[in-house]
Amino acid sequence: MGGEGESQPLTAVDGVEGGEGGGGAVAVNVRCSNGSKFSVSTSLDSTVESFKELVAEKSDVPANQQRLIYKGRILKDDQSLLSYGLQADHTVHMVRGSAPSSTPPSAPAANAGNQTTAPNVTRGVGSNDSSNPLGGESLFPGLGFNPLGGGNAMAGLFGAGLPDLEQAQQQLAQNPNMIRDMMNTPAIQNLMNNPEFMRSMIMSNPQMRELVDRNPELGHVLNDPSILRQTLEAARNPELMREMMRNTDRAMSNIESMPEGFNHLRRMYENVQEPLLNATTMSGNAGNNTASNPFAALLGNQGVTTQGTDASNNSSTTNAETGTVNSIPNANPLPNPWGATAGQTNAPGRTNSGGDARSPGLGGLGALGGLGGLGGLGMLGADSPLGATPDASQLTQILQNPAMSQMMQSMLSNPQYMNQLISLNPQLRTMLDANPQLREMMQNPDFLRQFSSPEMMQQMMTLQQSLLSQNRNTTTQEPGQTGGAAAAGTGNNMGLDLLMNMFGSLGAGGLSGTNQSNVPPEERYATQLQQLQEMGFYDRAENIRALLATNGNVNAAVERLLGSIGQ
Amino acid sequence: MSSEEAKVVVPRNFRLLEELERGEKGIGDGTVSYGMDDADDIYMQSWTGTILGPHNTAYEGKIFQLKLFCGKDYPESPPSVRFQTRINMACVNPESGVVEPSLFPMLTNWRREYTMEDILVKLKKEMMTSHNRKLVQPPEGTEEARADPKGPAKCCVM
Repeated sequence: MGGEGESQPLTAVDGVEGGEGGGGAVAVNVRCSNGSKFSVSTSLDSTVESFKELVAEKSDVPANQQRLIYKGRILKDDQSLLSYGLQADHTVHMVRGSAPSSTPPSAPAANAGNQTTAPNVTRGVGSNDSSNPLGGESLFPGLGFNPLGGGNAMAGLFGAGLPDLEQAQQQLAQNPNMIRDMMNTPAIQNLMNNPEFMRSMIMSNPQMRELVDRNPELGHVLNDPSILRQTLEAARNPELMREMMRNTDRAMSNIESMPEGFNHLRRMYENVQEPLLNATTMSGNAGNNTASNPFAALLGNQGVTTQGTDASNNSSTTNAETGTVNSIPNANPLPNPWGATAGQTNAPGRTNSGGDARSPGLGGLGALGGLGGLGGLGMLGADSPLGATPDASQLTQILQNPAMSQMMQSMLSNPQYMNQLISLNPQLRTMLDANPQLREMMQNPDFLRQFSSPEMMQQMMTLQQSLLSQNRNTTTQEPGQTGGAAAAGTGNNMGLDLLMNMFGSLGAGGLSGTNQSNVPPEERYATQLQQLQEMGFYDRAENIRALLATNGNVNAAVERLLGSIGQ
Repeated sequence: MSSEEAKVVVPRNFRLLEELERGEKGIGDGTVSYGMDDADDIYMQSWTGTILGPHNTAYEGKIFQLKLFCGKDYPESPPSVRFQTRINMACVNPESGVVEPSLFPMLTNWRREYTMEDILVKLKKEMMTSHNRKLVQPPEGTEEARADPKGPAKCCVM
């Protein structure tokens, strides 16, 4: 339990994103009513009650007299800090109140255990010990950067993921917490919080779309981000799921007593709820229905489906087409999505000059973006069976090619170029617009560099593989489900298409974007202008000036526009 | 750039994001706290604020919670402000808890530079005025007496 809060990627990604999500110990400022201020290091998963204990150590106010206020809300003892959206470096106000007579002062003792389990995880990463109860955690370094750095990190990179795949996958299968952990990683939460993206994901699943088509009233459900999130939330939390089902059952039994109500209800249940619940039940939780689970499949971006031959001829451009057109599922071994992404983006790259050198870079970038957000989702994907070992070596080769790494480096070291890539791709842009954190992530050169390091990529591959083989395990347990699997395969493909589009056009767009210097600025920066307009900057002339000055970098232009007010 | 400073107007979202950050980081005088209710509300409309009852007043030792609602035309026009905690104060409707703009000049003479923090601080100052500070307050335990009507609805799926 304590381990989940301390898993590697959380802390690492936290650092980059400024402390989003729940994770390891973060510093939270406490401001007293008398004006004094101090900082407390706590895990965001801990309860308010245990946080008060920590605060009590640093101040002279006993926990039961503290009243903590954050974002205008009074924090309740039994809630977690995370539930209030508390993040690193944020400030909680503390007021001394009168002691409530009913609260026994020793109550938080049990919670202290949360904090003490923290060191476990680094052990799990650094060692190859296959009996490590936290072995599942060792999958994570692919995402994260060991905060202890140095040799330990390296040991983790190669020690943890590779030798114990079997072990890891078993643990993963047996450990629903793992899935929850993954769902809790900031990257995934970012995605969940992005209604646009969630919607397009859902709508790209044919089954879901059909469902919506048949039931227009469901449309608004999908347009409501909070409902979506709730559903996903439920999917990752078995208890919540049960609770929700119970709620619905209760409500239904009430309506049943009304004439005609029952029929309507039944219809609704059959048409809507059942498929929706089915659709959202994650493989990890359901455990027995993987292949027929379209939503899980949708989330699994490793569903490159028929690119099975991909491993051997990743460099061929025909690859790209087969991946998107063909939707026959599961007959062939599925390749690793990272490799596939690289393969895909190759295609647009080739059509441009200098494609050979550049395209692997862009492919890498696609993978990189994938690592940031979608990779996480990919892990949850349920039904891509059969590992993709050859792919790993393929990617490794690409990554170790000096030309390639040079390419990537030069690209990544040029934030302008990155920005252009981002802003020229409408899909990626809307995603980023709706989600400032992701934008920050993408624009943080350090973060990109870290992600693009070959070690990191390799680690991701390893992670992916172990998950793939885990999935294979699950799938082979139910050979009878081929029908469902077919559907799932399609879902996969659609989800993948989205990804491909996103990163594929990123490649093409980026290249064309750089060669347009003699077009008038209104045209050249049309997209950026519109973006600024959408953000609420209505002065077109001023916008153009700002864009010209910043070379089309919307972010910098905004800074500039805002900065000009302050002066 | 400085010649254009008057022309550029901070768009609503940027303004609210700025306020959000100030609230989260606790920038300011530290006696008021505020934040957004739902981090996913892309329009950033619904906010909660708290005011610590100032010393040497009838409000001392209490924490007053308010709801602030920023319409689409914020900050051109003021947000609506409503006390959730029961309070006896001249400018507050005792039944609904709404801060009456007609009795709270800041809202009537609203300027777009004003922030929600300004409102909270001003309300706190208002508590310290001679006609408010001695007012008898409703008994303890009535905090959050006006529960959010939307609250219970959150627990069902469809």
